[in-house]
Amino acid sequence: MPTLELKIERLEKLVGKKLLLKDLEYDLQWISLDLEEINKKEQKIKVEYNPNRPDFSSPEGIARALKGYYELELGLPSFEVTPGKIQMNVDSTVKEIRPYIVCGVVKDIDLDEDEVTTLMNIQEQLHWAVGRDRKKVAIGVHDLDKIVPPFRYLAVKPDSINFLPLQGDGSTMNLNEILKYHEKGIKYAHILENNELYPILLDNKDEVISFPPIINGILTTVSNDTKNLFLEMTGTDLKSVNLALNILSTTLYDMGAKIESVQVIYNKDEKYITPNLEPKKWEISTKYINDYLGLNLSITDMIKCFEKVRMNAKRSSKKDYIDIWVPAFRGDIMHPVDFTEDCAIGYGYFNLPKIIKEGCIGEYHPIQKFSNKIRTIMIGGGYIEVLNFILANVTKQYDYMKRQNKSNEIIQIANPISEEYNTTRTNILPKLMETLLFNRSEEKPIKIFEVGDVIILDPKEDTGAKRELHLSAVTYHEDADYTEIKSTLDFIMNTLGCSNEIDIKVSNNPSYLSGRSGDIYLGKKKIGEIGEINPEVLLNFKLEFPAAALELNLQNFF
Amino acid sequence: MTIKLEKQTIGIFKELKKIKLDSVIASDFSKDLDIDYIVLMSAINDLKKNSLGDFREIEVNQVSLNKEGKSYLDKGLPERQLLNILLSNNNQEISLQDFLKISKFDKKIFYVGINYMKKNKWVAQSKVGEDIKIILIQEEFPKIEIEILLNKFKDNLKLNYKDLLPEEQKIIDTLNKRKLIKRENKIQREIALTDKGKKITLSQIKELQQVSKLSSEMIISGSWKDCNLKPFDISKPGPLMQRGKIHPMINLINEIREIFLSMGFTEIRGPIVESAFFNFDALFQPQDHPARELHDTFYLKNPKTARLPQNKVIQSIKNTHEYGGDSGSIGWRYKWDENIAKKTLLRTHTTATTIRRLAEYYKNNDKKPIKMFSIDRVFRNEKLDKSHLAEFTQIEGIVIDNNVNLSNLIGIITEFYRKMGFEKIITRPGFFPYTEPSMEISVYYDKLGKWLEMGGSGLFRPEVTYPWGIKNPTRVLAWGLGLERLAMLKFQRSDIRDLYINPIKWLREESYR
Repeated sequence: MPTLELKIERLEKLVGKKLLLKDLEYDLQWISLDLEEINKKEQKIKVEYNPNRPDFSSPEGIARALKGYYELELGLPSFEVTPGKIQMNVDSTVKEIRPYIVCGVVKDIDLDEDEVTTLMNIQEQLHWAVGRDRKKVAIGVHDLDKIVPPFRYLAVKPDSINFLPLQGDGSTMNLNEILKYHEKGIKYAHILENNELYPILLDNKDEVISFPPIINGILTTVSNDTKNLFLEMTGTDLKSVNLALNILSTTLYDMGAKIESVQVIYNKDEKYITPNLEPKKWEISTKYINDYLGLNLSITDMIKCFEKVRMNAKRSSKKDYIDIWVPAFRGDIMHPVDFTEDCAIGYGYFNLPKIIKEGCIGEYHPIQKFSNKIRTIMIGGGYIEVLNFILANVTKQYDYMKRQNKSNEIIQIANPISEEYNTTRTNILPKLMETLLFNRSEEKPIKIFEVGDVIILDPKEDTGAKRELHLSAVTYHEDADYTEIKSTLDFIMNTLGCSNEIDIKVSNNPSYLSGRSGDIYLGKKKIGEIGEINPEVLLNFKLEFPAAALELNLQNFF
Repeated sequence: MTIKLEKQTIGIFKELKKIKLDSVIASDFSKDLDIDYIVLMSAINDLKKNSLGDFREIEVNQVSLNKEGKSYLDKGLPERQLLNILLSNNNQEISLQDFLKISKFDKKIFYVGINYMKKNKWVAQSKVGEDIKIILIQEEFPKIEIEILLNKFKDNLKLNYKDLLPEEQKIIDTLNKRKLIKRENKIQREIALTDKGKKITLSQIKELQQVSKLSSEMIISGSWKDCNLKPFDISKPGPLMQRGKIHPMINLINEIREIFLSMGFTEIRGPIVESAFFNFDALFQPQDHPARELHDTFYLKNPKTARLPQNKVIQSIKNTHEYGGDSGSIGWRYKWDENIAKKTLLRTHTTATTIRRLAEYYKNNDKKPIKMFSIDRVFRNEKLDKSHLAEFTQIEGIVIDNNVNLSNLIGIITEFYRKMGFEKIITRPGFFPYTEPSMEISVYYDKLGKWLEMGGSGLFRPEVTYPWGIKNPTRVLAWGLGLERLAMLKFQRSDIRDLYINPIKWLREESYR
């Protein structure tokens, strides 16, 4: 989850109210912010916001919501955009590469130190929260007075343009060189992979403004003397580039700057004036919202709820409907259902009633019920239950146990976090052997069991694999032998009432000692193995006492 | 006159008779005879009853070394350590500052050491201007009294202050001033024979015939009434019993299962090897969502792809992602790729199974309401450490019903957590990609006196339920939490991995609270 550091003093200035840490600790949660850290000494807090609310990526954004919560300001925050003359011409060459660009102009900025920090930080936050690490949206902020409009957004051959990139080594580079040698180029080259042409932003004198989504030109670097900004967002999704632009420009507006629009011209018929900070209107049924929340709010009350979350709402011409205007910095409204949460936030989650709806009869899952039956039997037999991961290691599952495996016959994880877990278990016994290894210096006898899932490949299943319930038990001490584990098996089968159907046949299972092991059959079906563990297997697990074990597939018992 | 005594008492009586002293300290005596202290004292009580022996309690002042004192036992006192540094470096004189530096001593202890070196007349100190020098003024440095006495404390010994010689007591006082000593007052028992005990001869004592085991023959013949059945020390711990025990996590799971069942929920279970379709796509997670990336999800090389459900459903999910389908949503506006949905993975949440249940619901057209739950394993591609696992257990509850709403969800969650022992609960706004409205859940944990985040919840988005035919006003409530966090609190473990590595000692000793 994204986090943001806030100075209390700055927040107080923005909200226009004295804010005590103690109160904030309580209040922030009701506008869906999580207080992560409190720094009393420096009067700073760190809040976590949800990825659906990138407008919370600046103190200005959070202040807007708090003002609504404290009822200091209700309804839509107002933003003014002066129509501008600057044009951005979009060439059709970018269509297949990075099709969208939107722009804005910010005039007369006068930022203090905190605001400069916010401006840097919000770009980083938006790159993540909206831009998917620049893939979907990349943000450029430039000194407007260094470049000459109109501007052009086009795609060019990688070696056709040389320019001085920001954070470079001071020499001009072509686009290929930037992707190969520039720090940011190396980091983001993957976004432009497999393209013959690369996107570029030029001014009227063919000076490079930026090479999105990689790096800006050094020409437009923003400094302390910068008075006017040029903002551009390029990307693969029109809604997302607009959202990033809207969040950035409303934040700058709240810092006291003037916003001017830019004409973004795709072709004669497709032209956008951006930023477009007009609120979006929805018509929503009040019954729908009341039903979702379990409330019975009057239209007036509901309107108040939306005003508190900084939307405008009015009685609609349609009966029992309201018109809602959503501010341009909100990107999370996709469906009428999204208004239910905002209404609940406006109403206050703490005010919602707790209503229990009864009905239904609960049932055990037969597998869980049976698993508990097996547990009862095993603890009666003196075995301690253990619990292991289903994730497993191929070497330990097969090689250590002297079992054969073919790579196409086992589950293979494509991207294991470590080799320790590169498959899932097909048997529980190797896990019990590991448990013995972990506990080998504990007082003996150690008698343990586990009842749980193994994963078996099965082309009949839609996912190609299925879970099976297994039981494995092992006894480990000086005198552990076949007789002991056989009497355990007999005890289990007697208690399950199927000792008559069980048959043991001689096997040549290399995990066990030959002559002291066998396969367990239920009727004609092989359901498990039993025996004294092969001493070579014991040594693989660094065990020095005899062990006798069994493993049963329980799928046939319930 | 003969006196009847138990065999054990007679043995101890014999030993006491051998003693020349007037009295003997009980704890020392039990050590000398190598018998249990409790056994000895019960014999003395036996003697007391027959006026043959007695004991009295006296208060003694015991001294022993404290932690710092013990540390000097091997290394020597600071002054000796400092001396050894000088000797090993062959320094006849050294500036005080250099000495401090090479000694690597804590400043305070260094000056204590220097002081005592001067006191022992091992060194002298000269001062020329700002420069202070330490000069060795002896050739030999035999052990001093205090060091000899220190040795008496070897093997953690405790000394009785009263028993020490006056000059030794003085040294102890010095050690005490140097804060190297721990003093404690203890009650000690002294045992002795009475005059009668001293006079009586062994021939006058007979062994009391006692029976410790009741036999079948005694029960049938009734002879048990006439023999003296030996009373047992009924509070003595029995021999350690090492039998089977249920794993603490399973106990916890079973408790939670009972809560769900008592609230009318039915347990469901689904595949662990899952398709991206059920794990992500069916939950309206866009295909470029960060949670779907490799560093969060275990994808499989074998089996590599899954078969998807019938075409109608695929089309419906595709439409919902691309433009909202019939759900009333604007959708994610991108091109949905069936091949990405076919990827296999280890499920990252049990909600994948919930969706499968929704699919069945659509087919079977069940009667509402439906309440279901699962407590089952899920997987995340995380590096294991103190607070992260790659495989863990998720608890999830689901309600499908007509007109169920957020207030019902709060009602049911409150009841669920109350049954788990959390009386105070906060439900506040949250965000999950497939629920709207969403809630975070915090509970007040009395034992720690603080609020803890304990799960998330919400109503499934229409984009999730519509493709399966579950449409407004039928809605789906869901909440979930991780089992391990709860288990760590309950079992007071600080390392989450402990829950799955089975330390036998823990499993044998953990109580069923």
